[in-house]
Amino acid sequence: MARFKNKKKVIVKPVAKKKQPTVDHITGSKIPMSFVFSRGKLPGPLRQLQMDLRKLMLPYTALNLKEKKRNNLKDFLNVAGPMGVTHFLIISKTTTAPYLRVARTPQGPTLTFKIHEYSLAVDVIKSQLRPRCPQDLFKNAPLIVLSGFGTGDQHLKLTTIMFQNIFPAIDINTVKLSSCQRIVLLNYNKDTKLIDFRHYSIRLQPVGVSRRIRKFVQNHQVPDLRNLQDVSDFVTKAGYGSESEADDEAATVTLASDLGRVNRASTKSAVKLQEIGPRMTLQLIKIEEGLCSGGVIFSEYGSGDGKKKQDNEEDPEDQEDEDEDREDIVQDEEDHEENIVEDDDEDVD
Amino acid sequence: MAEETLVADPAKVPRKRRLTKKKASRAKKNPKKPMLEGIGPNIIKVKKIDGKMKKLFRKRAREYNSDEDNDNDSMAVTGDDESSELEEVAMDNGASDDEENDEIIPGITKFVEGCRAFRIAFRSIIKKSVPDDSLGPVLSAHKKLIAEKLAEEEAERKIKGDAKKEKLLVGEKGHVKPDNYLDSHAKFLVGVATKGVVKLFNAVNKAQNAQKGLNPLRSKDAKALRKRRKETFFSELGKASQPAADTPAKGRTSTRQVDEEGPSWAPLRDNYMLTNSKLKDWDKFPEASVADDFRSMSEHGNSDDY
Repeated sequence: MARFKNKKKVIVKPVAKKKQPTVDHITGSKIPMSFVFSRGKLPGPLRQLQMDLRKLMLPYTALNLKEKKRNNLKDFLNVAGPMGVTHFLIISKTTTAPYLRVARTPQGPTLTFKIHEYSLAVDVIKSQLRPRCPQDLFKNAPLIVLSGFGTGDQHLKLTTIMFQNIFPAIDINTVKLSSCQRIVLLNYNKDTKLIDFRHYSIRLQPVGVSRRIRKFVQNHQVPDLRNLQDVSDFVTKAGYGSESEADDEAATVTLASDLGRVNRASTKSAVKLQEIGPRMTLQLIKIEEGLCSGGVIFSEYGSGDGKKKQDNEEDPEDQEDEDEDREDIVQDEEDHEENIVEDDDEDVD
Repeated sequence: MAEETLVADPAKVPRKRRLTKKKASRAKKNPKKPMLEGIGPNIIKVKKIDGKMKKLFRKRAREYNSDEDNDNDSMAVTGDDESSELEEVAMDNGASDDEENDEIIPGITKFVEGCRAFRIAFRSIIKKSVPDDSLGPVLSAHKKLIAEKLAEEEAERKIKGDAKKEKLLVGEKGHVKPDNYLDSHAKFLVGVATKGVVKLFNAVNKAQNAQKGLNPLRSKDAKALRKRRKETFFSELGKASQPAADTPAKGRTSTRQVDEEGPSWAPLRDNYMLTNSKLKDWDKFPEASVADDFRSMSEHGNSDDY
């Protein structure tokens, strides 16, 4: 009995103050934030993929989000409101394939992708001779390039908007080029209806300078002059250049401002991309109105019996999820109203 | 055999006695020496031997004996002829009988006999040819049982391994290790991404170079700058005094529509202060919040000017 007495008072801790601003202080637009989590138990490689996706979504994501088996979607939604999280990336797995759901909180829509193939960041790095990872690579949000989506289909348009909004918008008048370090590419293949998801790091290097001199300026190291007759040889003698080193005219840019010591605004720079995983091949199979629930706007397998077939494909846990989610949404609408009020409060204070 | 040992002994007896005397005299100097002869005569018992020492002596004696044992065994196993073995025994006696009385000698001979019996038995076991079976000769009566059990275990392990492999395979489904080289598709994708980056950088360059030429200190340029900022500001607000003000690099920024709830900063919304019932009694707020309010307002003012 005494224990119960002690337990009677539960002190609710006030939500800790946010460190990150939810609003860009220059453009004033709301910064999108995301949670990446999983539903159901994932095997090792998929868990790693989830971690890679979290890294990709940096800096506006919860890198160390802890999830438990008993957490349902509602829990995440409840946390998402006060934290200003706008997007969910949910990885799940069935016996047929792993799935990625991209959802906007709190009301949807939800895009469901089937992951046909994926490679982890580790795999990509292992496949490279010289992997590259500068210190501040993940300090800024990536750019996003969507290509091949302009076929006029409604569901593709929605996908475009969804992915555009998942990263903070850039204002070309104020953006610093040094903050553009990464790029996420989504390429839609019309014939196969597959989306290639890639993640590259952006590197700039001056054009028209021999490799030796470029390395000399970059590395701060005394060059090896043993084989040369004169110092002038070092400058004039062109080193060997492989075919890939040849500068592509299409990939050169003139910079608006100096970028580091090497890339001056006055000279031209070549854009080099190097892949930093993960990579995925996605297929859009379903769009739902709500957050993992609601009416189906688009289904790859057609409506009606096609939809039933797809439901059968999903494991029972997923369906359970959806049932829970439906409950969530009912409650969520109340929550949402509260959230709006809270938001106003925050703005005023 | 016993005779021979007896014959061998008398020659050594006088020597032995001498030795004991020497030992006795030496024992006073060196307390370690008597340890070996601890079992024997009274001379050493005169020495102070506490229990611990005694124990140690006993242990050593046992070890000594057991060593002998082993030696004999090994001799038996290697299967030398009898005479050599006898020599060995004699040698052993010679080494060990420094202190031993005559009473012990028959004991030793007895021991040798026992050893011989053991040797024969052991040899017979060794000589026995055993069917070369994986199970070995152990528990040959239960051979069938063991075979069954082993087979069962093997099957079980196989099933377990298969299940594990299958599980791993399911987990790895869709997981692809990339190639070490750039294939045409990857090259194409890199090209697309590069094109996008170049487009963006060029647009940024265009937009920011236009600003760069203007010197904010000169009144004319300052006016132009302010106008430009105003344009961008309004375009951000969604009122779009001139929609062409910020032509974005890609579809990215252009298709970004202003959120349905309007600008995120509350005072800029149309329904500001109208819907929020909490603001009705604004004059009852504590001082601090009002001050905060002012500060945030001024901050925003600054950012607007900028």
